[in-house]
Amino acid sequence: MSGAIAVKGLRFRYHDGTEALRGVDFEIAPGECVGLLGPNGSGKSTLLLHLNGILPEKIAGDGAIRIAGQAITTANLESIRRQVGLLFQDPDDQLFCPTVEEDVAFGPQQLGLSGNELLARVERSLGMVGLSGYGHRATHHLSQGEKRRVCLAGVLACEPTVLVLDEPTSGLDPRGRREFKTLLQGIPATKLIATHDLEWVVELCSRVIVLDGGLVVADGSTTEILNDEALMVAHGLERPHSLRHQHPH
Amino acid sequence: MHIPDGFLDGKTAATAAALSAVGVVLALRQVRRELPPRRMPLLGLSAAFLFAAQMVNFPVAGGTSGHLVGGVLVAALLGPSAAIIVLAAVLIVQCFLFADGGVSALGANLFNMGMLGAGSGYLVYRLVSSRLRGLRGQVTGVAFGGWIATVLASIGCAGELAWSHTITWAVAFPMMAGVHMVIGIGEGLISALAFVAIARTRPEIVAERTPASGGSLPGGVLRYGLLVALGLAVFVAPFACPWPDGLESVAAKLGFEGRGASAIVHAPVPDYRLPGIHSAAGATALAGALGTVVVFGLALLLGRILVRKPVRESTKDPSC
Amino acid sequence: MLRDWLGHHHGRHDSPVHRLPAAAKLWTALTIIAGTVLVPWEWHAWFIAVVALLSLAALLSRIAIWFLLWRLLLLSPFVFGVVLVNALQASVHGSWLALAARSGICLFTVVLLANTTTFGKILSALRSARVPALLVTTLALMHRYLFVLLDESERMRRARASRTFQRQRRVRWHLLGTVVGQLFVRASERAERIYAAMCARGWK
Repeated sequence: MSGAIAVKGLRFRYHDGTEALRGVDFEIAPGECVGLLGPNGSGKSTLLLHLNGILPEKIAGDGAIRIAGQAITTANLESIRRQVGLLFQDPDDQLFCPTVEEDVAFGPQQLGLSGNELLARVERSLGMVGLSGYGHRATHHLSQGEKRRVCLAGVLACEPTVLVLDEPTSGLDPRGRREFKTLLQGIPATKLIATHDLEWVVELCSRVIVLDGGLVVADGSTTEILNDEALMVAHGLERPHSLRHQHPH
Repeated sequence: MHIPDGFLDGKTAATAAALSAVGVVLALRQVRRELPPRRMPLLGLSAAFLFAAQMVNFPVAGGTSGHLVGGVLVAALLGPSAAIIVLAAVLIVQCFLFADGGVSALGANLFNMGMLGAGSGYLVYRLVSSRLRGLRGQVTGVAFGGWIATVLASIGCAGELAWSHTITWAVAFPMMAGVHMVIGIGEGLISALAFVAIARTRPEIVAERTPASGGSLPGGVLRYGLLVALGLAVFVAPFACPWPDGLESVAAKLGFEGRGASAIVHAPVPDYRLPGIHSAAGATALAGALGTVVVFGLALLLGRILVRKPVRESTKDPSC
Repeated sequence: MLRDWLGHHHGRHDSPVHRLPAAAKLWTALTIIAGTVLVPWEWHAWFIAVVALLSLAALLSRIAIWFLLWRLLLLSPFVFGVVLVNALQASVHGSWLALAARSGICLFTVVLLANTTTFGKILSALRSARVPALLVTTLALMHRYLFVLLDESERMRRARASRTFQRQRRVRWHLLGTVVGQLFVRASERAERIYAAMCARGWK
């Protein structure tokens, strides 16, 4: 049960009145790797921010979102955030500490770790993303790819059961993309990845959810949905090249 | 306007540091009480913003731009307490990383630019925007407040330098005040333009700090006013006040003259006793007053130009 | 220019001076500065001792001397100005030489400190000196996002320059205001996202 996500009838309205989410429903089983697709403005980022209780600003506690069977309420926010690790779109927003090790240590520190235990956790997390020895580096001097990996390490240091990622490959060069994919494949947590990178999704995710206009318009196997040219185009996407070559024409 | 080390003697540096410390403590308390947690990172980001904004100016306005402080803009957007903390952070980084401003003069610099400058500028902003309603009033307030802030800060600087006997008041005051009356125009102008740009793209940022109707100033602001007054009393009044003359004429009336009246008030600059300087001081005061009125008029004009239709909703500025 | 200034501070230099604990360096620097400002000019011994100490530290730090002196020179316009005025005024006591010497020594101390100590370590020293947490956090975030904002302002400037075909004095002021305003808006939005990121990792 741990690592399961259940969303039912999720609605959200911005301050200015626009409805960003108009009744989103889906369920993700533990260990699944699901891609979240959709055109710009479909509500992907807004949806992701709901999964660890950052939105709405006043938690309703109505059970629209359940993590490992538990509804998100103001009382269990801490526990939810321990379970759900969120990787933000812009690594600079997330890397707010001056050095790498301070940033990776931030999460575990909030959870109460200190001393040698903390150091060990930091070391292990950096090792998981292939950045051992980067502890003393200044965060503002890293490359985009390194920044993203440090962000991932910082999130992994909290040992989450669910990983939610917002556009993890934007700004990465092909090698960076490949390395990140390999990294993610090695992590057993449940993964929900919002992305425009359709080729990447084909390689990484067995299932995709398509969001448009605040509603789920498709939910199923990657090859099935991404091959549906009409569906793709109708929702501001397109059929990825890697899939096109698999068909005779 | 950043005073380096060695220009202020012990007593001046210590006095200014003490006043600044009080101001910072007050500001910290106010911020902890008032600022919602989600705004806490904004302090650091605003400090980075001020720094970056000062860099943006360098190539454009040449010599004048280096002095853009931006304190009044931040005060209008985040409040005076937050502005003091932001300015403190900027000054500390400038001091330690760039040696721009002395370590021993940190208190004085913060007092001049933070409390004297941004504090008085904010007071002016509140006064003006409570009398002239709407965005237009706020823009006028920011523009005029920015100018006042620059001029007052430079006067405080001159006073501190004079009190330390580094330069005489007679030279420092006209030099600093004169130059900064011009620089202040740039400060007011840029602050106002930036304020308008922010009000148009993100009106909710501005709306958060719009003074509630009533125009009464909160207690915190009065405390800053006191600090400002105290600083002016210590650093400026001894030089600018015609007290020696006033007291002497009183002493003459009461028959105390000749009984060591010169010992009653120890004027740091003996020139004050000369009738020539007295009238020059009067002339300076008159020029200052005139200049202030002119700049206020300019600020009003600027408000009118930038905010053409005070009733309309925010529209995207077409020329950018 | 600013970029390499800040960058150089965290360069790959290493030396005995670099390795000294930050708190020790900070307090030593503060003592030197306080003393140099307060001590009467007649106490030549102090000034000689301080210059000797600084020279030794500069040598041991293995930073190129021309680099340090260049920094010193760049920071001096205000100093020159006031020293000049002071020198021309016979009425105030304290020679212009004393003024220049005091300023110069303090400037050099700060330049040396800044180039041998990373800012992060200075912040830790401040934290242990019980400087209020809000101020230290503000300093930390400011330092962290300085580059980011400078980058953004640089990109905005380049984008503007690419669409500027004439030089017009009057228009420049207006653009300046817009750029500054935009910078603040971006800073403010980023601050919100940072807060969200902090909360996401358990910040209370």
